[in-house]
Amino acid sequence: MSWIFIVLYKSVWGGIAALGFAALFNVPVRSLFHIFLFGAIGIFIKFTMLHYALNIVFASLAGAVAIGFLSIPAAHYKHTPPLIFYTPAVIPMIPGILAYRMILGFITLTGNPKSPIYYTTLLETVNYGMKVVFILISLSVGVVIPMLLLRKDSVKDIKVLFVKKQ
Amino acid sequence: MDELENNQNEKEMADVLLRTGSLLMSAGANTGRVRNTVNRMAEVFDYSIDLHISQRSIMLTMLNENGASHFTIVRVTPAHVINFRTISGISKLSWSMVEEKWTLYQINDELKRLEELPRFPRWLVLTLVGLAGAGFCALADGAPIELAFTFVASFVGLFVRQEALKGGFNPYVAVYFSAFAASLIAGACSKLGFSDSQNHAYVTSVLFLIPGVPLINSFSDILDGNVQNGVTRGFIAFLISFSIAIGILTSALIYQF
Repeated sequence: MSWIFIVLYKSVWGGIAALGFAALFNVPVRSLFHIFLFGAIGIFIKFTMLHYALNIVFASLAGAVAIGFLSIPAAHYKHTPPLIFYTPAVIPMIPGILAYRMILGFITLTGNPKSPIYYTTLLETVNYGMKVVFILISLSVGVVIPMLLLRKDSVKDIKVLFVKKQ
Repeated sequence: MDELENNQNEKEMADVLLRTGSLLMSAGANTGRVRNTVNRMAEVFDYSIDLHISQRSIMLTMLNENGASHFTIVRVTPAHVINFRTISGISKLSWSMVEEKWTLYQINDELKRLEELPRFPRWLVLTLVGLAGAGFCALADGAPIELAFTFVASFVGLFVRQEALKGGFNPYVAVYFSAFAASLIAGACSKLGFSDSQNHAYVTSVLFLIPGVPLINSFSDILDGNVQNGVTRGFIAFLISFSIAIGILTSALIYQF
């Protein structure tokens, strides 16, 4: 069960990373706590799924969709559009290490094609690159999937349980 | 006389609509949101309009009762500075003006108030972004000492970016300087022997520069059907990522990683 503590530790740091971006984007002060919470939940879902050996693309997509769904009641509750919650909250899930390895791979590929590591580098770079591209797409599309499924232009038209209409 | 007054009102209305639209666009809203908000405001005052929204300008045509175009105005959008407080304020404004039947003057006053809202104090933003850098390092299994290095690197990196933008550098060049400074500081961590071969601190120190808003807006614009704006934003996100990569590779050259 020790993995759950590592995941929780990472979730807290994920929430803090989301807060950093919230400050950079100058969000309203009343939404800060929810951004921290959603950032942590996204990371929690992603790393829990990774622990059960699921694909990193699906794990990121699940985290992003969860953040997208949670943003809708939060938008009602705090009277602020959902993008203010989901944009900073998904950023901690962006795969920085993979992107770095991909760029490093590209640089190596500009070198001598006769070198012994060229072929393995090519395979690895394609693998990292595909992961980065698909994770970025699933994060950006994942957060708007709830709005697409609910087929409304504005969250004000969506009925949410547990939140009083003023 | 009546017609003249009517014309004057239409001009004022168009001005308020364009002002709202360009404020939203430069604060980092997606195109669909700009279109919905401006249309909703025009509907309240019983005007029909057509909009053309692009990254750097907004064009609006006022239609008369017969649906023929009356006049068209263009406004250039100011440089994009992400500000979610403005987006939230305008969203609130567009709903309360319906419920409380605001006049144009009230809307203008509220827009002026929103434009002058304070940002977070600079030291707080720098500290929180530094912590975000440490967070990225922790997500990549970094050790505590690496977290400390990433904190300092992100803090200084953002400071360099802000100063470069103040000094009038091109935004992509500012990102390059920032990525270079941050990775130079974090790279010292493994050079001094605090880090294993994975270089967690070095790699995660530049992640605070990730173009999150252009990236997410790019996809939501394309899904909305605003393909042109979506492609523009996607390309901007690509260019920022490219600047980050060049910055981090410059310090890799210095450190011989």
